[in-house]
Amino acid sequence: MTIERASGANGWVPVAASEDVIPRHVFQGKLLGQELAIWRADDGYVNIWENRCLHRGVRLSIGINTGTELICQYHGWRYANRNAGCTYIPAHPADAPPRTICNRTYPVREAAGLIWTHLDAVEPAFPALTEAPLVLRAMPLRAVPAAVEAALAAWSVEGLTAEGDLRFGDGSSQLQLYVQAVDAGQSVIRGVLTGALAGQGLVVLRRLNTALTALTRQLEAEALAAPAPAPIAPVYARVSEELAEMPGLEADLADGPGKIRVTLAAKKMVANGIVSLELKPLRGVLPTFQPGAHIDVALPSGLVRQYSLVNAPGETDRYVIGVKREAQSTGGSEAIHEHLREGDLLAISEPRNNFTLRRDAAQTIFIAGGIGVTPLLAMSAALAGDGQDFQLHYFAAGQEHLAFQDRLAALGDRLTPHLGLDPAATAAKLRDILAQPGPAKQVYVCGPGPMLDATLKIAAEAGWPDNSVHFEYFKNTQTLDDSQAFEIALARSAVTLQVPAGKSILQVLRENGIKMASSCGQGACGTCKVRVLEGTPDHQDVYLNASEKASNATIMTCVSRAKTDRLILDL
Amino acid sequence: MIRLYDYDLSGNCYKVRLMLAILGLDYERKNVEFFPGKRHREPEFLAVNPLGQLPVLEDGDLRLTQSQAILTYLARAYDASGQWFPLDTPARTGQCLQWLGFADALTATASAARLADGMGFDFDGDAAREGAHKLFAVLDEHLWFHEREGHDWLVPGAAPTIADIACFPYVMLSEEGGIPREPFPAIRRWTDRVKRIPGFVVMPGIFPAILGSQ
Repeated sequence: MTIERASGANGWVPVAASEDVIPRHVFQGKLLGQELAIWRADDGYVNIWENRCLHRGVRLSIGINTGTELICQYHGWRYANRNAGCTYIPAHPADAPPRTICNRTYPVREAAGLIWTHLDAVEPAFPALTEAPLVLRAMPLRAVPAAVEAALAAWSVEGLTAEGDLRFGDGSSQLQLYVQAVDAGQSVIRGVLTGALAGQGLVVLRRLNTALTALTRQLEAEALAAPAPAPIAPVYARVSEELAEMPGLEADLADGPGKIRVTLAAKKMVANGIVSLELKPLRGVLPTFQPGAHIDVALPSGLVRQYSLVNAPGETDRYVIGVKREAQSTGGSEAIHEHLREGDLLAISEPRNNFTLRRDAAQTIFIAGGIGVTPLLAMSAALAGDGQDFQLHYFAAGQEHLAFQDRLAALGDRLTPHLGLDPAATAAKLRDILAQPGPAKQVYVCGPGPMLDATLKIAAEAGWPDNSVHFEYFKNTQTLDDSQAFEIALARSAVTLQVPAGKSILQVLRENGIKMASSCGQGACGTCKVRVLEGTPDHQDVYLNASEKASNATIMTCVSRAKTDRLILDL
Repeated sequence: MIRLYDYDLSGNCYKVRLMLAILGLDYERKNVEFFPGKRHREPEFLAVNPLGQLPVLEDGDLRLTQSQAILTYLARAYDASGQWFPLDTPARTGQCLQWLGFADALTATASAARLADGMGFDFDGDAAREGAHKLFAVLDEHLWFHEREGHDWLVPGAAPTIADIACFPYVMLSEEGGIPREPFPAIRRWTDRVKRIPGFVVMPGIFPAILGSQ
C-alpha cells in the first residue's frame, strides 16, 4: 500500500505541536487511523493514549484533564498520568481497581517544539533535530499522505529549494516539513523553520500558512477528482487476558518483592527520626497505584518490609515512602536509616491496595498517629485535588515529628496537628473529632496499635458504623495461637488438606502448590484474604473490622485458623 | 421576569441560556417541542413568532427573535461592564458583529448537517458538512494566529464577548452532524476556554471541561 511510504508509517512522526498540548486540555490526534488522546500533566509529562475509555469505548479526548489524571466523561473512570492505570471507578467506590485496567499508551518524545510518537514494533532511531525552531501552524488536508509527500518533494517556498526528505533551504534558513499520515485519505503537514527567516516570527508564519493553504486547496481538488480511499480500520488494544476473564485469585497475585527493580533516587530526613525514600524505576514506567496502597520493599539484608505510598495522584514518576526509625527495630528501619544510600538498587513489589479510599463521602476524617500519616497523605492529596471536604488530624509527639512538611503545607487549614498529647488527652481529642457520626461520613485511621485500638473503641461508642471506619495497623501485636489442628477443603480445587499445629493455612496451601498472594505475614495487610464458604474461622488478624469478623465471610490465611474441625474455602 | 421560548436540543436556544446563566439572570422557560412534535409550526407559537423560529425572548414589552440579536440585547441591557458587547472601539464593535454573522453561517451549515442527520430534516447533509468544514478551517486559522498574538477570544481583547457565545454551540455540536473537529486543534482549545467562563452551563451533547461544573 502506498501509505506505508509516507513518513508516518515508519519511524518517529510528529503528531502535535508542544504548544497544542496546553495545561488541563486533551488534544485529539490521529495517526494511520488510530485516534490518540494527547494530554500534558501538571508535571509537564505528555501522555499519548489510545483515544477510548476501556470501559465503554467513549473518546478520552472529551474527558477532563485534572492535571494529574484523565477522567472519562461517561462514567467517571480515572486514569493516571504516565502509567495510564485506572485509579478510581465511581460505581465501585469501596474497591481498588485492579492494576490490569490500564490504557494503551504510545511512545512519547517531546523535541524541537513537536510531540512525537511511532507505531513501529521496534523503537526506531530518533532524528537529529535543531532545538527551539519556529513551529508552523499544522495544515490539515483531505488528501492521500503519499500524494502530499510527492507534491511537497517538488515544492519551493520563500526562495527555499528542496534538498530532499522534505527539507528546504537557501544556506541561511532551513524549513523541515513532515507529513503526518492521519488516515488513508487524510494528512497533516507540519513544519519547523530555523535560521534567518525564523527571525521574522509571526510574519513569516503567516506567509508560510498562506502558501500551504494554496497548496492544500490544489491537493484537495485533485483528491476530490479521484475515488476516496477507504479509511484505515483502527486496531484497538487487546484487552489483557486477566481483564477479559473472570477476576481470579491469580489476576492480582503479586509475586512479592523482587518483581520491580528501582533505584533510590533521593533519601531525605523529613522529620525527627523519619526519612523519605524516593524510588525510581530502572527502566519503563512504574505500575499504577491508588491512595492507600503499599509496596513490599526487599532490603539488601534479606528482610522484607511493607510501606505505604505517600504519592499524590499523578505523581507517577517515582514511589515515595516514609520510614520511621524504630527504637526496637528488628532490622528493617535501622537498615534503611543507617545503610541505604542514594543510588542503591532495591527490589519492590507492585503496589497493593487493601486500604481503599472512597471518594463519594460528603465528609472524610483522616486520623494519623506518627508515621501512620503516610497513606493518609496520599488520600488527602487525592481529595484535595477534587475539592472534596476533609480534615486530616495528625497526632505527633511534637512539631519536629511532623513528617513531609511540604505536603502538609499544601493542605492548608484542612490539616490539624495535635502535638505532645498523652494517651488520656489523645482519647479526649478523639472523642471530640468523632463526636458526630453521619450517614455520608467516612473515617480513615492509621497509626500505632494502642492508638488504633482507642480510636476504634471511641468510634464505636460514638455510634459510627463499622463500615464507615477504615483502619490500617502497622503490625499485629496480638499473641497468636497456632496450637489447633484442623482440616481445610478447597471448594474450587476439590482438595482437602490438613493444617497441623504450628503451621499456617497459607504455608499448607503453598506447600501443596496453590499460589497465594501474601505480604505482611502477620494478619495486618489483607493481601492473603480468602472467602470462607463453611465453618467458623478463628480470627487472629488485625485487618478485618469487628462486623467483618463476626460475619465469618473471609479469613486471613497467614495467621487465622479454625474454631470448627473443618473450613471450606473458596479456592 | 424574562421569558424564553426554548428547546433543550437547540444550539441557538442554548446560546441564550448560556448568556443568561453567565449574566446571572433569572428567567421563565417555556418549552416548545421542536422535535419530534414540531410545535414551532403550530398556530400557538406562530402567534409569538410568525417565522416559526426558536428562540424568542420576552422582556417586559419587548419581544425579540434571532439568537444573535437576543445576545446583543442581553449584553446591552444587563452587562454594565460593557465586556460582552464591546463598544469601546469601532474596530471591536465591527469585529464582534462580523463573528455574529459567522455564527449565522454556522447555523446554515453545521446546524443544518445535525438536523439532517439527527432529526430527519430534508437538508443536503454533505453540502452542509462541506460548508462547515470550510468555516472551521477559517476559524481555526484565525484562532491559531490570535493565540500567538496573545488573544484568547474571537474579538481581540482580554475578555470574551457575545461573539464567542454565539459561535460556540454549533461548533461544539458539530460531530452530531458528522463534522469532526480533530483537524482543528486551535478550535478545540478555544472551546475549552469557553467552557471555563464563570457561570458556564452545559446542554445535552456538550460536556464540562472541569470537575464539579453543572
